[in-house]
Amino acid sequence: MTIAQTTQSSPEHRPHVSRRSLLKGSAAAVVASALISARTAAGEQSIPGASSDPFGKGKVIDCHAHLNHRSRSTWEADDRKLIEAADKLGIDQLCCSILTPHRPATAEGFRQCNQWTADGMRRFPGRVLGYCYVNPGYGREALEEIHRCIEDRGFIGIKLYNEYTCTEPVVFPIVELAIELGVPILHHASHSHYFVEDQPRMSDGGHLAELAHRYPEAMLICAHISGGGDWEWTIKALRHAPNVLLDTSGSVTDDGSVDMAAAVVGVDRLVFGCDSSMTAGVGKIRGANLSTQDKEKILGENMMKLLRRRKL
Amino acid sequence: MIIDVNAYLGHFAFRRLRHNTAAALLALMDSRNIDKAVVSSASSITYRNAQAGNEEVAAEVRVHRDRLIPFAVINPFYAGWQDDLKICHEQFGMAGLRLYPKWHNYQLSSKCCKELVDAATERGMVISIPIRVEDNRQRSWLLNVPDVPLEEIVELVKTHPKARFILLNGIGYTRSPLGRKDNGLPSNYAIELSRLSAVLANELGQLITNLGAERVMFGTGMPFKYPDPALVKLEVLDTSEPEKEKIRSQNAMTWLRL
Repeated sequence: MTIAQTTQSSPEHRPHVSRRSLLKGSAAAVVASALISARTAAGEQSIPGASSDPFGKGKVIDCHAHLNHRSRSTWEADDRKLIEAADKLGIDQLCCSILTPHRPATAEGFRQCNQWTADGMRRFPGRVLGYCYVNPGYGREALEEIHRCIEDRGFIGIKLYNEYTCTEPVVFPIVELAIELGVPILHHASHSHYFVEDQPRMSDGGHLAELAHRYPEAMLICAHISGGGDWEWTIKALRHAPNVLLDTSGSVTDDGSVDMAAAVVGVDRLVFGCDSSMTAGVGKIRGANLSTQDKEKILGENMMKLLRRRKL
Repeated sequence: MIIDVNAYLGHFAFRRLRHNTAAALLALMDSRNIDKAVVSSASSITYRNAQAGNEEVAAEVRVHRDRLIPFAVINPFYAGWQDDLKICHEQFGMAGLRLYPKWHNYQLSSKCCKELVDAATERGMVISIPIRVEDNRQRSWLLNVPDVPLEEIVELVKTHPKARFILLNGIGYTRSPLGRKDNGLPSNYAIELSRLSAVLANELGQLITNLGAERVMFGTGMPFKYPDPALVKLEVLDTSEPEKEKIRSQNAMTWLRL
């Protein structure tokens, strides 16, 4: 894969941030901003659904995104804005879940969210990939929902939030099913040096490392290392957990965060994400002092590798 | 030309900063085509005697005054702040202030702060206020410093119509009178963009619509933050090139009399 690899895009979807600038850094972007974007030249189809390989090489994949819950009156327009933002920023695919507005989610609540995610995959074919969100506390119902979403609806993974700390036994059957299906689990996580009262069962990098040791075959993604907690703690806690990938998303844009993650756990374990902080997500990767090849891995290759381990 | 109104030199007490010397910051700026930056002492955020940090910054920028514009960190509750202000302005040539009311534990509405703002205004100095230094969720176990509430900024700009304020590292202005059209407030403040959304909610675009591009300035927060997210915001911003130019540099040049 080269950085000049092109994908087709209609003029209205022409990205402001080309793949070239994303990989090269802001100085190059400033110089190149008036130049042709890498995606505007004719070439590879950008809609992966139309490709024989839905996770084809050269894609920029946001591993952590959300469509909008429909209790929000503007959900449809806001979903469209997400795709428009991805277009502007040169993001090809968004791995999305929908969470219930209030947690813990009920079974009815998470099923409804997943139904809407499936609808989002239909409305934005090839752009939206679905995570199946469940509350592990619902046991059999949660497992059935995962089967339905992964096997029947083509979801790519499982999203777990903060209903349970990931080391609690109630979570284990979910992890075992994920291993059986060969799909990743994106797990909400953060580490603060105080008790987070509204998220008493929040998982952190240490919990995920513990879970990873228990299930070395599991493919775990520690959500948003830049999501507001102490990212240096999180990165260090995950150093010796090779089956945990670190999602770079979050609103925090602290200099050195991506660089430290790359140095401590290696670029093969980093996956690009935004979690709705779109320019922060893209800017951090652009700003990291890493090679083009390493950025290619973070932006899409590592996630593609994960998605290709699906067993169905 | 690009002018960054939100940059720093020196050490921060709770995290190692890279690019925090004048030479290193300039190298970073060169790599991102940023021409000039307003800098203040990161160390002064937690030094008891903030003036020591101002002295460090003054020494660092001495031979780089064409590109690094020093601002002073002044704590109006610390002994001798009037002397410090005079030295920073007259000897160090500092064109403005950075205030940290929450880190330095005082009220923006206090008598001392009012005296400082009046004294700085009298000298023609610009007063910048970082709404936050870093995300509170990653705070050290030693302290809990809240963001500066925007309501307190509203009162400040109302009380000091002749002063000029630049608000740094903030978001949520459009949910406050500060970011609303015809808000009845004096137009004596500008908003720096490093934390504003430029897509989805697009607070940046809303502020340009509500207040005008003349009231928005480019800033990165480096070396606390990667400069690139702020640059990406400029790239994706849907506004005219003349308006972008105001944000990139013209507004800062006007306010700082460059």
